[in-house]
Amino acid sequence: MAYTLNVCHLYGDLMNTYGDLGNILVLNYLAEKMGVELTSEVISLDQAFDPDKYDIIVFGGGQDFEQSIVSKDIQTKKAGLTDFIEDNGSVVAICGGYQLLGHYYIGANGEKLLGIGALDHYTDKQKDHRFIGNVVIENEETGEQYHGFENHQGITFLGQDERPLGKVLEGHGNNGQDKTEGAIYKNVYCTYFHGPILARNNQIAKHVLINALKRKYPDADISKQEQLKVAETF
Amino acid sequence: MSLKSSIATAAGKSSYWFLHTFLKGGSSLPGKITKKIDPNILQNLARNYDVIVITGTNGKTLTTALTVQVLKEKYENILTNPTGSNMEQGIITTFLHAPRTKNKRPLAVLEVDEANVIMVTKYIKPKAFVFTNIFRDQMDRYGEIYTTYQKILNGVALAPNATIIANGDAPIFHSKQLPNPMIYYGFANQPEGDIKATPNTDGVLCPQCQHILHYRYISYSNLGKYFCPNCGYQRPELNFALNKIVELTPKSSKFEIDGEPIKIEIGGVYNIYNALAAYTVGRFMGVTPAQTQQAFHQGKSIFGRQEEINVDGKKVTLILVKNPVGLNQVIDMISTDKDPFTFIGLLNANYADGIDTSWIWDGDFERLPKMNIKQFITGGERYKDITYRLQVAGVDPAKHLVEPDLDKVVEMIPNAPTEKVYILATYTAMLHLRKVFATKGFIKGGLD
Repeated sequence: MAYTLNVCHLYGDLMNTYGDLGNILVLNYLAEKMGVELTSEVISLDQAFDPDKYDIIVFGGGQDFEQSIVSKDIQTKKAGLTDFIEDNGSVVAICGGYQLLGHYYIGANGEKLLGIGALDHYTDKQKDHRFIGNVVIENEETGEQYHGFENHQGITFLGQDERPLGKVLEGHGNNGQDKTEGAIYKNVYCTYFHGPILARNNQIAKHVLINALKRKYPDADISKQEQLKVAETF
Repeated sequence: MSLKSSIATAAGKSSYWFLHTFLKGGSSLPGKITKKIDPNILQNLARNYDVIVITGTNGKTLTTALTVQVLKEKYENILTNPTGSNMEQGIITTFLHAPRTKNKRPLAVLEVDEANVIMVTKYIKPKAFVFTNIFRDQMDRYGEIYTTYQKILNGVALAPNATIIANGDAPIFHSKQLPNPMIYYGFANQPEGDIKATPNTDGVLCPQCQHILHYRYISYSNLGKYFCPNCGYQRPELNFALNKIVELTPKSSKFEIDGEPIKIEIGGVYNIYNALAAYTVGRFMGVTPAQTQQAFHQGKSIFGRQEEINVDGKKVTLILVKNPVGLNQVIDMISTDKDPFTFIGLLNANYADGIDTSWIWDGDFERLPKMNIKQFITGGERYKDITYRLQVAGVDPAKHLVEPDLDKVVEMIPNAPTEKVYILATYTAMLHLRKVFATKGFIKGGLD
């Protein structure tokens, strides 16, 4: 059977600061090995987001100015994005993208900018300080270790329904206080990792693809895809 | 000159002499000493000069060298600062050891770091500024291109009469109304359509209405004939334009500016922009197009930054890569080679390289498998990242060797299957290789 997965590269032309395109390239590379055809398109300002059209959303990080513009526009896509997430759609959200899925973040000039509140976290800002450096975390359910690079001024605090992507072994993570890094909610993976995250951590890319296949083809036998061995790339 | 300035100058000059004679270097310390004694020293040292300041993310050094070469056709004894001395103290040092000239108004052409423009304009009112481009640099990518531009403008605000000679193809340079006279240069060499920049391009929001900019054509990254379909904001009229690219090779470019044929002995479309900037400054300063052609022809040695190194019979070109825009330009340049070659990619992640390697994913390595490359080698401290990047780009594993140790990479060069070898390396990897090449006698000196 021929499988296809459609990726929405959300604001890919504005939220792209940290090699975010790499996440799409890696999804495509692994999908090919699984015998899955992957398509991807950028959905940006003034364009409608149709939740029925996509299986995966990749939402990257951007510069302050671009993120503030996206903060306004994304409100017009709030209903569609929330439906997609509640309906177990797969999402990878990084840095600014992660912040915008939550309730709010604090912008460069100290103003409170709205997210869409699809996830229950919020983001404050450190005063004149950034967390910069390598990070290692461990996912407590799978025992997998993930490697990345963080560079963020925002400090994010998770809500009731969210689990961290991992426990911080090295580096700072969400806020430098509670040893959490990133967030998982349903099939949504959020993180401060650049790297880009899926290039450094092929296991996460594989989870994303498998989750998307299971949702789109609930009756298909995808054991072959599940057996794909992914290489250590870090 | 005040007594204080005289003492400061004497102290600076003698420290320069000492450092230069005994330590073979020291480009910022004399400036530091002098400035300490007399904070206004730059004003005194530069008071007779007509100064042209060149700034921007990429291309400052070559544009400065080319501009000097062009202006030499008409002016004598042009003062300029050596590569890397583009901050305040280095500039003071440059003026300190300027030879005496008989010119009433000698010329100085200075490469100035973006954040240091204001340090210069506090004391000097330049005749002109040249803006090359502003891209996201991986060294400080959390700094924004808008912040960088604002830093430049803070400096320019102190010199409202200076003419700004700007790359008209960069949307950011048309985003603010300035009192200064403006001259724009750019590319007018492609048929017109309606396209958008690729998704991983930065700086594509319309400065007026914050919609995504479209382009009639793009030369590279976010440079081109831009327009906003929403509000009508568009590229300004160009005063000087490249109207034809005749031939591109990795070592030379032939093109026409306003119908005048020009050849430069260096590859890469980005270097055509540098030449176009120098041409424009020349025209602004009264140099004729014929003189500029002559200057580019005679100034071949300026282009030596990409010299070919003979390594046991292999023709090796070692190129520094430090940010995605520069990297893509290098990939574009090697794609113009008609001969088969070996590709070596070396990635370190020390502070001088940029400790975040994520930028390699913005590089268009997907073009490599389509080129006539017989062998790929990846290495450096972060060899896993660059190796996986090439795998994902579709490089054939059968042609791909991995060697983390840079010394061993050098030993592999004589066994390359082709005569030509291109090495793309980050800063510390490049220094390491140059040292090894120098030890083995392939090049003179290790550091430059």
